[in-house]
Amino acid sequence: MKGLFIICGLGIFAMLAEIFKGFGLKKILQPVVLLGIVVAFVLNILTEWNNPMSISYFNNMIVFDNFALAFSGVILATAFFWFVFANDYFENSSDVTDHFALVLFALVGALMLTAYKNMTTLFLGIEIMSIPLYVLAASRKNDVKSNEAGFKYLILGSFATGFLLFGIALVYGATGSFDIMVIRAKISAAQGGLPLFFHAGVIMMLVAMCFKVAAAPFHFWTPDVYQGSPTVITAFMSTIVKTAAFTAFIRLFLVGFGGISEKWEMVMAAIIALSLVIANVTAVSQGSVKRMLAYSSISHAAFMLMGVLAVQPGMSIPGILYYTLAYSVGSITAFSVLYNVSKDSGEGFEGFNGLGKRNPVMAFCMAVAMLSLAGIPVTAGFFAKYFIFATIMATSFKWLLVLAVLTSAIGVYYYFKVIIAMYFKPADKTEKVPVEMQVMLIMIITTLLTIAIGVVPGYVIDMLGNSH
Amino acid sequence: MSTLLLNIPVTQYMFYFLSFVAILCGMMVVISKNPIHSILYLILTFFSIAGHYLLLNAQFLAVVHIIVYAGAIMVLFLYVIMMMNLNEKDEPNKKVFLKIAAVGSAGLLLLTLVGSLKGAEKMVAAAPLNTNVGLIKNLGQTLFGEFLFPFEISSILLLAAMVGAIMIGKKDPVK
Repeated sequence: MKGLFIICGLGIFAMLAEIFKGFGLKKILQPVVLLGIVVAFVLNILTEWNNPMSISYFNNMIVFDNFALAFSGVILATAFFWFVFANDYFENSSDVTDHFALVLFALVGALMLTAYKNMTTLFLGIEIMSIPLYVLAASRKNDVKSNEAGFKYLILGSFATGFLLFGIALVYGATGSFDIMVIRAKISAAQGGLPLFFHAGVIMMLVAMCFKVAAAPFHFWTPDVYQGSPTVITAFMSTIVKTAAFTAFIRLFLVGFGGISEKWEMVMAAIIALSLVIANVTAVSQGSVKRMLAYSSISHAAFMLMGVLAVQPGMSIPGILYYTLAYSVGSITAFSVLYNVSKDSGEGFEGFNGLGKRNPVMAFCMAVAMLSLAGIPVTAGFFAKYFIFATIMATSFKWLLVLAVLTSAIGVYYYFKVIIAMYFKPADKTEKVPVEMQVMLIMIITTLLTIAIGVVPGYVIDMLGNSH
Repeated sequence: MSTLLLNIPVTQYMFYFLSFVAILCGMMVVISKNPIHSILYLILTFFSIAGHYLLLNAQFLAVVHIIVYAGAIMVLFLYVIMMMNLNEKDEPNKKVFLKIAAVGSAGLLLLTLVGSLKGAEKMVAAAPLNTNVGLIKNLGQTLFGEFLFPFEISSILLLAAMVGAIMIGKKDPVK
């Protein structure tokens, strides 16, 4: 909770920094934000981790239990890396303070989504997270693609929000409460006697949430928005926003609607199957690395949804936590390399040609990130997929497992296209791609983290324990 | 027959009338070719929904709904559409296949939603209707009591929207 307040304060500080730029506030903005995120992270863990008292605030509107803290920890850590590598982009733009304020407000929404216990806070969290993103997607005003991205995201996102609200209204009408726990109790008390429109509401909320996590067939906005937005914003969307949306998804469907899983699991299985096939098959033919990463994020969404589908809170929640961590860390590395390479030689695969000779360290980081996203052993991505597969094995959806393994094999192909370009293709230029020292440091740290949590996955998995 | 009709309370007649107007105008918003007409029908829809609020004893909500939606937001819409100078001939030509697909999927959604209401008429209300629910006093107590956190955190939402609007609206130095 204190973390949430600190991030709110940082957002307001970023706005004040513009007014008082005469006092040099603008120069210290990034260090202050980084420090604030660390403080928020530490305070969250110190005051609320494993603390059964006083974790529920404002009449159960928001609850910082271990589940929320673990996921907000992933989000805050990713945000820290993000602010280090993205700073370079904002230093070149005139309105760094507005951008920082909007990103921090989006972060407030993301943190709310990890901790909500009430449909009103769910809705507000989603909106607080989405509205700054609509603007940030369109923030390169002189670029038609960026305008298109912002507009598409706004129109389709509002449409999905409409579905969410309609779903909430129907669920409220059937149960008489916005509280997730009350709804859960009503479901188990009704013994299947809930009115039909309750199930319609659940499915509508499923549609809206699938849109927010970009699962097929609600994924059509993803490639265009991810490609059109500035690369740093795309990195934010595909890591922090995705983690937050998934946390919301888990809480809503595992905790809230877990009692009627037989009503939605078939729909979700179909969504997962579609996402796996469409994302992986389309990603193969992409010419731009950014677009390829957009499709890859759809396929990773499908993997995380498989964790939601296997309703076993004890096993699948740590599995999804591990997956979000592995995916976020890997993606941050990939996007920071892509950002620096694309400044030099464009977003296509050919921009990576010969990077192994030009910037050996950066190429190694990118290679590890790609291996992790593809799920090759020793990296974190392997165990992430392994845990998800293990949970799905225990359910009746074993056919999804077969499909997931097959489509992962396709995934290996397009991830390796980047590695092949870096190490086996001749470069057009010989000089190094310029990278800032601190960005280089973040790339190395995230790469080491990818390998470290891949070698000792137990730490992350056991962290949540049996309490969630 | 006549006794049956007389047994229905007058609010029920009002309900059916308002619902009819709301649905009719809602359909006209989509059907009418002229965007100005669409807006005017939308205003009518909002008024009939405000009538529903009144039937539910939510007087404050009804008034706010008319002032904010039917008043402010719709006038804004009207200005934007008049400034954009849209008219019938600017309407993009959509493919027949797209039209059929849109009608088909929207029809299926309608079918599902209407079908899901089956059996709802037999439901018993979870709590009896509190006739004072719409008074500002009760509303304020709920807003600043149970729903304090959502109420306060909405300020972040509004702030973000404001910053965003200014950021999009202001002129960028052309590089």
